[in-house]
Amino acid sequence: MKRLMSMLLVLTMIFSLTVMSSTALAADGVEINFWSMWNEGEPQATVIAEAAEAFEQETGIHVNIEWKGRDINTLLTASLSSKDAIDIFEDDYNRIGQVYTEWTYDLTEMAEAAGYEGYDCFNNQAIAWAGYLNSITEQPQVGGVFYNKAAFETAGIEAEPTTWAEFLDVCAKLKEAGIAPIAQDGAYTNFSFYYHLVRYLGEDGIAELRDNGGWADNAQAVQAAQDIIDLVNAGYLADGAPDEYPASQTKVGLGEAAMVVCANYVTAEVNAAIGEEVDWGLFNYPAVEGGAEPAAAYAGANSLAVASYSEHPQEAFDFIMYLVTGEWDQKMADTAAQIPADPNNTAPASLDGTIETLKAADKPMTWCGSLNTHPAWDSMKTLFTELFEGKYEDGAAFCAAMDALY
Amino acid sequence: MKKNKTLIFLFIAPTVICLLLMYVYPVLRTAVMSFFQVEDLTADLSDWSFNGVDNYVKIFHNAGFVTSLKNFLAIWIVGGVITLSLAMLMAVILTSGIRFQGFFRAAIYLPNVVSAVALATMWVQYIFNYDYGLLNQFVTLLGFDKIRWLGTDAKLWAMIAAYIYGSIGYYMLIYISGIEGIPTDLYESATIDGAAKSTQFFRITLPLLKGIIKTTITFWTINAATFYLWSKLFSPVQTEGSTIVPVVYLYDTVFGGKGVVTRDAGAGAAVGVVLTLIIIAVYLVTERLLRSNDLEY
Repeated sequence: MKRLMSMLLVLTMIFSLTVMSSTALAADGVEINFWSMWNEGEPQATVIAEAAEAFEQETGIHVNIEWKGRDINTLLTASLSSKDAIDIFEDDYNRIGQVYTEWTYDLTEMAEAAGYEGYDCFNNQAIAWAGYLNSITEQPQVGGVFYNKAAFETAGIEAEPTTWAEFLDVCAKLKEAGIAPIAQDGAYTNFSFYYHLVRYLGEDGIAELRDNGGWADNAQAVQAAQDIIDLVNAGYLADGAPDEYPASQTKVGLGEAAMVVCANYVTAEVNAAIGEEVDWGLFNYPAVEGGAEPAAAYAGANSLAVASYSEHPQEAFDFIMYLVTGEWDQKMADTAAQIPADPNNTAPASLDGTIETLKAADKPMTWCGSLNTHPAWDSMKTLFTELFEGKYEDGAAFCAAMDALY
Repeated sequence: MKKNKTLIFLFIAPTVICLLLMYVYPVLRTAVMSFFQVEDLTADLSDWSFNGVDNYVKIFHNAGFVTSLKNFLAIWIVGGVITLSLAMLMAVILTSGIRFQGFFRAAIYLPNVVSAVALATMWVQYIFNYDYGLLNQFVTLLGFDKIRWLGTDAKLWAMIAAYIYGSIGYYMLIYISGIEGIPTDLYESATIDGAAKSTQFFRITLPLLKGIIKTTITFWTINAATFYLWSKLFSPVQTEGSTIVPVVYLYDTVFGGKGVVTRDAGAGAAVGVVLTLIIIAVYLVTERLLRSNDLEY
């Protein structure tokens, strides 16, 4: 027994020494630390891990990835300010541009040298926030009206609507064909109504209302609310809407509803929920008559940044380029069903037209950015959901409720 | 003797140091921070600027925080009364010698073994589901229209109902252990004297459980004040007014929410202080109202 124990101990020691020596060998080359916002096993994480391995084989640079998950934002400020060993980090480009700016590396020169293109709307916005290019787009998102092409076909709809009147016409045809025109989950009522408000008032006009109130005195705000009330009263929302996420949006995949206002990730979520590929179409949110911003589209992104104190900024940037351009970006787009970060790549079939939409956009519409800084934002979101629940008699009543929050 | 004192000090030093560093220091820092304007949670003291009670004024003038307090009160009072009453009832029944009490005890405690995430998902996606949910199947069977259980009016109550379901077993076990500690002679002599079961409950069980009741009220208050996970699971995409609770408000204030980049660690600290004061106040009140020291058995 003693002999067996001593043999086991010797074997353990040999194994430990082997592991330590192999670690030492890896540390001989350059090693960069990457804090990712994904969790191990997710499609995005799988592609990143594979890309890091391929990158190491090509360059000898080892990328040490730490999967921090979606709550990475709760860690980054503290970690960056205490200069934790981070070379690359990943988060919403809003936060990289506005919260972590003092810890982000100026990527302008390296991006120029690498001939990086990306999307102007994100690059310009990042520069506007930080004063320099401080992030590289990794997973772009675009918002609009996503629809099930099969449902449109069944209802005999041939052209995508561009105006509110055409949109209502499409809704009527869908309803006649026995398909609920619009799926709406409660979690996104604020996004849907904000989109509608943007069409009437523009983001600057909404910001004015946020600061000064006076919703009931604003004819366009009243009309925007009235449009939604009319939509509800006409029976154009799916049964049970506004439903609990993701119940209503899933109905688009099941063919029970036709359209949903959301960002592009809705397509991947619905496909995953029903277990098959839906034939998706996308059109920009319809314009309203006399509105301020007839064509603005929501655009957001998860981006990558290099820590300002990184000892290997060029190597970190090289890995970012490796990931967001060419082969690996295409693989990311295909595997995670998302818009490619490289405009020269191809979007998955379910996201047809998204690259063109993003390339055409010069200024992205925010995610309720003109309202979400209001102290009563949480209460406003409740009112928006109530609007879709049909709780208000008319647009004036809704706007009066909004004013009551001031 | 002197040597012994040194040894004692050496043995308790690691625990005391850990307590000071990991508990007392953050608590004091949070309390002080609540009187300063601080954006980042980890900002240097040099970046803090004193603003008196402005953070407290700010949060009490914020509709989101006021709503979260109302929701907390609903969870604490309504949820507390129902949970603790039902837990007590179950405990009394299961200690009365009924058949299969082991099975019932395990069955009622079972939701506590299941992960809260799985439990909440079951309630949200199945029981409360509008189209095929268990409740709406029952409602339509009775010939009524389907109900939007997770609409803005009902969502808080739906969440509380689900939370109660997941909590009863835990409090029931505490009450059972308390009841089992009461000498059976008391019940036997009460029975001989002709006392009904209800009289025995109100005259023997309840008075002798005062200490346990005090503990469960304090536990429930702490759980209600630190309520977070269920709120997040009932509003998975972004915070909603119908389910917001103070800790979720605190989290959003300190770290920002979906699409929100503004942060205010000072106001978040003020929320933390308010919650702590609520828990202390409840503890002191229950301590005063439910004195258990005067009864010995």
